[in-house]
Amino acid sequence: MNNRLKVLRAERDWSQADLAHALGVSRQTVNALETGRYDPSLPLAFKIAHVFGQPIESIFAEG
Amino acid sequence: MNDLPRRRRAPGLGVFALVMLLTALLGGLAGFGSAFLGDQPGAVGFGITAVIVSAAMALGFVACVWWWRQIDEAAREAHKWAWWWGGSAGMAVGAVLMLTVMQTGDSGALPASFGSTPGEIFASGILSILLFQVVGYALAWAGWWLKHR
Repeated sequence: MNNRLKVLRAERDWSQADLAHALGVSRQTVNALETGRYDPSLPLAFKIAHVFGQPIESIFAEG
Repeated sequence: MNDLPRRRRAPGLGVFALVMLLTALLGGLAGFGSAFLGDQPGAVGFGITAVIVSAAMALGFVACVWWWRQIDEAAREAHKWAWWWGGSAGMAVGAVLMLTVMQTGDSGALPASFGSTPGEIFASGILSILLFQVVGYALAWAGWWLKHR
């Protein structure tokens, strides 16, 4: 699955640690998400969408 | 920087290390306790030792539940994957050794450190399989994180 996490985070000038803290996960998990090597659960995907204020489908895409 | 929602900060490595240290101390206490109180012949000593070790295991399990609730979903996934693949592979290696010894009946091939009485050999056998599982688990866990970096 592809995602725009890195772009969205960069646009907001957040570090991986900032995003990890906001999501309640580790920085390693944010890194794994950004590289597309770990697909989040539905609850975490919703949390990500909430943090960025965007719908899930605008952040994640089938790939 | 834009506003970022803040969440409850997860415990740091120091807290996890402290809990690990406390559980290790608990294990040591249980060992001392069972050595002193369980040092009685027959079923009484066996029973006292079993009760003390069970109590320590129960408290250790409580620590595990606390730890499991603190880690995030990727960390849990890594542990679940490692337990299934690494633990199963380790168990398979242990099972190969166990079946080899059982089928050849050659307990002389076992290291002397396995012990000589049936009880010692039984406990060493169980411990060996656990060790193989832990090694497999650790390798699989490290592999999972390397793959998902």
